[in-house]
Amino acid sequence: MNTYCFRDTPHERHRVQREPGTDRVRVDAAAVDVRAEGGGRFVAIVDGRSERLHAVAHGHEVYVHWRGRAWRIERLDPTRSSAAAGGSAAGASCAPMPGVVVSLQTALGRHVAEGDALLVIESMKLQTTIAAACDGVLTELPLGVGQTFQRGAVLARVTAGAPP
Amino acid sequence: MTPIRKLFIANRAEIALRIVRTARRLGIASVVPWHAHDRHGPALQDADHAVQIFGDPPASAWLDIAGLIRAALDAGCDSIHPGYGFLSENAAFARAVVEAGLNFVGPSAEAIELMGDKISARRFALAHDVPVTPSADEADDPRTFADRARAVGFPLLIKGAAGGGGKGMQIVRDASRLAGAIATARSESERYFGDGRLFAERFVERPRHIEVQVFGDAHGNVVHLGERECSIQRRFQKLIEETPAPGLDAALRERICDAAVRLARAARYVNAGTVECIVSPAGEFFFLEMNTRLQVEHPVTEMTTGLDLVELQMRVAQGEPLPLRQADVRWHGHAIECRLLAEDADAGFVPDTGRVRLLRVPRGPGVRLDIGVTEGAPIAADFDSMLAKLVAHGATRALAISRLREALADTVLLGVTVNAGFLARVLEHPAFVRGETDTGFIERHRDDLQPERLSEGEQRMLLAVAALALPDPAARPLAAPYAAIGAWRN
Repeated sequence: MNTYCFRDTPHERHRVQREPGTDRVRVDAAAVDVRAEGGGRFVAIVDGRSERLHAVAHGHEVYVHWRGRAWRIERLDPTRSSAAAGGSAAGASCAPMPGVVVSLQTALGRHVAEGDALLVIESMKLQTTIAAACDGVLTELPLGVGQTFQRGAVLARVTAGAPP
Repeated sequence: MTPIRKLFIANRAEIALRIVRTARRLGIASVVPWHAHDRHGPALQDADHAVQIFGDPPASAWLDIAGLIRAALDAGCDSIHPGYGFLSENAAFARAVVEAGLNFVGPSAEAIELMGDKISARRFALAHDVPVTPSADEADDPRTFADRARAVGFPLLIKGAAGGGGKGMQIVRDASRLAGAIATARSESERYFGDGRLFAERFVERPRHIEVQVFGDAHGNVVHLGERECSIQRRFQKLIEETPAPGLDAALRERICDAAVRLARAARYVNAGTVECIVSPAGEFFFLEMNTRLQVEHPVTEMTTGLDLVELQMRVAQGEPLPLRQADVRWHGHAIECRLLAEDADAGFVPDTGRVRLLRVPRGPGVRLDIGVTEGAPIAADFDSMLAKLVAHGATRALAISRLREALADTVLLGVTVNAGFLARVLEHPAFVRGETDTGFIERHRDDLQPERLSEGEQRMLLAVAALALPDPAARPLAAPYAAIGAWRN
């Protein structure tokens, strides 16, 4: 039995259990008829209809394709908090998209108030100001001007109640 | 006549591959550049040679005029094709290529310069009877500004000549409101920009972006290969293009295409070019600009005319006359292209990065996929987010749409978020099917274009497949003696 979630809804957990030797998988106590055909192809029977899907795994994540749409599904390891399912720790400002740091508005160790501008990033010619998520001390400011980052990267962390 | 024997393609991804394919068919050797951060392009496998280029950030390597020319010469090339984007509309590059003794597959540096400057291009269009958006600049004669603004025609836009960002702009739909709008625009412009001088311009509501493919040769021949409609855009970037433009009046089409040819002929234009216009709901058209290169969306023209535009480019560059006259050009059916981008369209068209972990391409009659990535390729923020162009042709627009939707559903590109779902929703939207295309389409129908929620049964299906796709940690088969030992490590 494993716990899965869709990456876009990390707080909605699903219990999934494979049934080896059968073409069935139990999802949240309901049986789903599904089998692998090799080469990333899968066939599922839903409402009497045969559906073709494709999927590929990478680490604990699976990318699934069905009828032109795609989803990211994560298998949660109870001993490890995933970046998506765990949610952003309070005070962390994560990059909404990949890009580059344009300018820093403050420095490590400074006291900031919720909403204070911390840094300006740019991606695809759009500039965004990243603001403090809460009151506290800026305990992380890992990137310098000109450095690039991927989506989800921690750009800054404000620790509430930390001594300056 | 200067036959081309070895072509350097100063580009990458899908267009580099597309040019390599035609070069091969014409018996021309091809050389494609690669970069440490761009070594997975499909063109690199198909070209005869690949040469390394350098630059940080990576895109700068394709903007390095001296570096690219040096790479071409070192590889023994006699010509350069610039593709689109990068240096394709850079007159200095075109000039430098020719000065280095290489053949530039494109127009002259002078033509690039003429059309590259929006003001000179507009003036040139006016001088050759090609309509431009009516406008009036107060600075020309402040006393007559109100009268000249009225002559622009309604609806019009009064804006601060020094401003931008929507401030100090007034839309005027009726002559009776003109004086008041001028006063308001002036006071806002003075307040926001410290400069109250004004500019009046015809405001086209629901404009359609219609462009004409033109081709000239070195012998003075110019033809047009029909128009394309590229109105489905987001952030001023084209997403879906088609030909012919749906519901375009035949006489209007002829006027637009004739104007495009007139413009190209007057400019003594050589090689491929595209004249872009906006068309108002009332059936007026206005010249916007001319792109002096091959366009991204050229495949739709190829599919309806049966012509290979890159082949025509190569022939013209070799000094051959165009192999067809206007009367020889025939159009058949309808073609639509959609751009597959590495972005999350449902989250505000935010670009995504990742790696192509699974790739399955659609096949079928009338379907064409020009793809710039291979399975395993990393998708970073280093370059443009376009991964591929999916094009479908059909005898009618409805058939083309149906084929494109099917091909889109069958295109599997996993490992990075792609806008395929969004494109599919546009293609099936009733307004799109009716041909109600204008540049405000995506914004206007934004709510309709949200993704459908999955049913619980569909969610369970996806989760079940995910479970099968992951190696099952609990199902590792152990030979008996080792299983008996249990969890034991040395």
